[in-house]
Amino acid sequence: MPRFLKEFFNRNGTGMGLAILGLVIFWTIGLIILPQLSMLDFSFRPNLPPPEIGGPKDVYTLENYKYLIYGPEGGSQDYNAVDLRVFFRTLLAAVCVTIFNLILCYPIAYYLGQSKGSHIRIFAIMLIIPYWINEILRAFALRIIFGETGVLNTLFMGLGIWDTPFDFIRNDIALYAGLGYAYILLMIFPIYNVIESLDHNQIEAARDLGAPWWRIHWRVVIPYAKPGISSGCTMVFMLSAGALAAPQILGGPSSLWFTQLIYQQFNDNNDWPQGAAYAIVLLVTCILFVLAVMRLFKVNMGDIGK
Amino acid sequence: MNLSFLRISIWVYLAIFFLYLLGPLVIMSVTAFNSSAFPRMTPWECLTFQWFGELFQDQRILNGIKNSLIIGAGTVVLSVAMGLAGALMLTQIWPKLRATYYTIIIAPILIPGVVLGISTLVFWDRINRMLGLGADSVLSNGIFLTVIGQSTFIASYCMLVLVARLQRYDVALTEAALDLGATHAQAFRKILLPFMRPAIASAAVLAFLASFENYNTTTFTFGEYPTLTIELAQKVRYGITPSISALAFIIVALTVFFALLNEAKLKRQELVAAARKNATVEELAGKIKLPSFFAGNVAALLVVVFGVATITVVGTATAYNPAQCIANVKEQKQLEAEQRIQELRKQREERRKQREAEEAEQGGAQSMPKPSNNSGFGNVFAPNTLGGGDEESSSEPQPSTNGGFGGAFDPNSLKTD
Amino acid sequence: MSAGVGVDLENLWIRFGDFVAVRDANVNINGGDFFSFLGPSGCGKTTILRAVSGFLDPSEGKVLIGGNDMRGIGPNKRPTALIFQNLALFPLMKVWENITFSMEIKGASARERRKRADELLDMIALPGQGDKLPSELSGGQRQRVAIARALCAEPDVLLLDEPLSALDLKLRQHMRTELREIQQRVGITFIYITHDQGEALTMSDNIAVMRAGVIDQIADGKTIYNDPNTAFAASFVGENNVFRGKIRRVMGTEAVISTNRTGDLVARISTANQGKMREGDEAMMFVRPEAFAIASDDAPGDHCVTARVKHEEFEGNVFNIFTEGDGGKEIKVSLPNVGQSFEDHTGQTIRLEYETRNAVLVPAGELAAE
Repeated sequence: MPRFLKEFFNRNGTGMGLAILGLVIFWTIGLIILPQLSMLDFSFRPNLPPPEIGGPKDVYTLENYKYLIYGPEGGSQDYNAVDLRVFFRTLLAAVCVTIFNLILCYPIAYYLGQSKGSHIRIFAIMLIIPYWINEILRAFALRIIFGETGVLNTLFMGLGIWDTPFDFIRNDIALYAGLGYAYILLMIFPIYNVIESLDHNQIEAARDLGAPWWRIHWRVVIPYAKPGISSGCTMVFMLSAGALAAPQILGGPSSLWFTQLIYQQFNDNNDWPQGAAYAIVLLVTCILFVLAVMRLFKVNMGDIGK
Repeated sequence: MNLSFLRISIWVYLAIFFLYLLGPLVIMSVTAFNSSAFPRMTPWECLTFQWFGELFQDQRILNGIKNSLIIGAGTVVLSVAMGLAGALMLTQIWPKLRATYYTIIIAPILIPGVVLGISTLVFWDRINRMLGLGADSVLSNGIFLTVIGQSTFIASYCMLVLVARLQRYDVALTEAALDLGATHAQAFRKILLPFMRPAIASAAVLAFLASFENYNTTTFTFGEYPTLTIELAQKVRYGITPSISALAFIIVALTVFFALLNEAKLKRQELVAAARKNATVEELAGKIKLPSFFAGNVAALLVVVFGVATITVVGTATAYNPAQCIANVKEQKQLEAEQRIQELRKQREERRKQREAEEAEQGGAQSMPKPSNNSGFGNVFAPNTLGGGDEESSSEPQPSTNGGFGGAFDPNSLKTD
Repeated sequence: MSAGVGVDLENLWIRFGDFVAVRDANVNINGGDFFSFLGPSGCGKTTILRAVSGFLDPSEGKVLIGGNDMRGIGPNKRPTALIFQNLALFPLMKVWENITFSMEIKGASARERRKRADELLDMIALPGQGDKLPSELSGGQRQRVAIARALCAEPDVLLLDEPLSALDLKLRQHMRTELREIQQRVGITFIYITHDQGEALTMSDNIAVMRAGVIDQIADGKTIYNDPNTAFAASFVGENNVFRGKIRRVMGTEAVISTNRTGDLVARISTANQGKMREGDEAMMFVRPEAFAIASDDAPGDHCVTARVKHEEFEGNVFNIFTEGDGGKEIKVSLPNVGQSFEDHTGQTIRLEYETRNAVLVPAGELAAE
């Protein structure tokens, strides 16, 4: 038995040690690694009816990935313009949502992190409460607001700012607002956690040296909060790119989200390998994108989730 | 000057921020009490509780709640157990493996839920086939798959919560217990577990809420057991009614209530701790005089106010009968609708005349008038058109012509003439 | 007093990877003894304690308790109880629950436990404090609760890992006496770990002086103080002045060493090194500050040291004179204050004399860090 394992069992006892090891292995191998590998494997296989799975036709193929790029064989277009456009639009929109959230949340995170008093706790509760409400219901709430006869249209028409209902949904404003709304907390908390540990004296010192407020933020607070910011941005980006509920509820009829394509492949077309391939493309692209951005801003993976 | 300007802008910013954050929830909650069949706040029609009644008669919602509770319980148990084991492992793993291990157990938080759902489905389907089990085996059961799929990433959240507390744990405590004769299991149960209890409770609540509200993963794995969230999504996608607002109101109210309760409890513990600290030894040895539960505890007060308000509302709801009001509104709407139909008829008549005149002039063959181009949506949002997919059987009369768009947008009203 | 259960370490080696924490330790601890391991932090004394209590497996060698080899026996099965450096009182349990934890494990009823807790609380002079939480006690009280908790397990051997280090000086001195009293009352073997030579000397029957994983000397306190084996033991236990030199001549139990600056000096060879030291060997002579006196005019040259006084200080019971001595090291002289008058010597050169029995010669070796 390797020394590490021997020490582990000495420290935890045989029974407890086995329980811990068993649960950890089940989680990491059985729930995290193998399913991902299995999905990867699946994405390279043709869509076959169950009896033919494992049969002679069950060979590795790149068909599912080709489909995303070139579309159906013998299709009218050279490229699968529809799906590709959805894919890039999803990524772009996720980036926009992330930036929007960062701009919206940084000031509040800073405020909460650096002020003292009992009202901060009340603010914290007010922040958390929406997060406890069902994702679907949050999207639903926004749909009530952005609907054609919703609160906003009624308000603005009542004020006479515009006189025909503005279609927030078809213009994707509702969708972006909904995505931003859904992940506010995931942006605030990592930044808040870091800024809370920033010694207020540093800011005082900078102010004392005559730095204007924006320079204090640019040179002192933001560099310090970088792990929190990158953590928040990563989570918001990954979750908005992978969001399904908000696009389904708040998306306009013509604007699809890439996850909706995956959903369609699975549930409507019943083409699991195709859906798996799309899921792999989404996962890998998102991870590569995040890693690239993290390298650009020189942040470590270990900072995420803190 | 400058400072006060900054201060004002901070407060304005905070106000906007919290308006964005809480406004939608308030508005949604309010729509639950409006008798309008489309969930909206304006125009206000009648105060009604009918949507709550409708909600509680909806078998699919009730069934969804049942499934959600079962799946939530399973997920809490599995993900707290895995999260605790993962956290314990993280504190003692061989340093060289630590970074890799951390990346693996934190990754599920970042993997899109859709991907987790698909991979769970695909993987267990394959296991199922490898074991030669049928489509009705445990491994392809919706509850099993959903619990497994959700736990994959919820365990990561639990791990983060638990490891934060575990880092403050002094391993010497376990060693002391062992030294005093406890077995490893006893030391775990009597020393580590009580120490971890607050964090385990937080993790369990977090896990339950995450499981309860999860959509992306569950939508691939639920099989025959749709959760509440899945049912809600179906309803919201295919036609929204205020009974969803009613459900939302209940959830919001419960959330606020428990948040306040928790806050009150924390505050009370703080006060008690402060009191104990200040108390002299004699006082402690004698009787600890607890400060009154409410003294200096705003949250506790709010909890009570909240409770009273709830009782009042429920009381009113049972006694209040909005039938008269609804009838009035209905009548008025019918009048309006008729008026509008009249107008439309008139318009059409005029248009027809005009067209006839034009046709007469041009002699060309013009096509039919475009039907119902009144809205950007067409009839997408008319509850009735999409509500057709809704098998909801409601005892209440469906005020279809009273829909959010009035009769004017209802294509039926055009066909009648 | 009961015979008690002895502890023996036989050729004990403990390694962590390439690092040797304990090197070939051989110790016999008699039953009922108060035995201390004394050494600076990082010398491996805590490692030995963890090997005795069962948290560590020796890499080689044996730990015997009452003559039984403890290999493969876990900490919860050994007749030892450990008092941790930070005490490790269970923060969520009341004092009485803490004390009787070992009974709870065995399934004793609450009433039995309560009764035993009250007895022990009386013993440690904390009657009626059983319902408090450990966080509500003072440092000294917590200390005593930890002792009571360990004693409640009725161990044959009580292991204490620097338990007094967190206390302030006054309390520490008070607890020394108290610990010694408790040990004598219960009559079991105490193994005490400390870096504080005062604690070791006042409480222990026997002391093992440790340096970097090696046990330099095992003896009672007087022997260690007066007759150290090694340069480390001489310099670590108590204050000492060191003089380096080469052995010029060995005369039975005495020897003459030649030092660079102070010339030839006579010293007694420490007992353990008698017969082992040869002419020409590098050696160190140690003279305690209190063993010096201002030399009389007729004092022989090989018992005298000449040095220039840098400064002096009055400490109440003693006058301390700091002089510039051999090899840049300063020589400290403590003259007892017995009512005589003192003149200020600062800047003067004085002669200091000592008696041969107070100058101990050991082979040259590593000194304890200041």
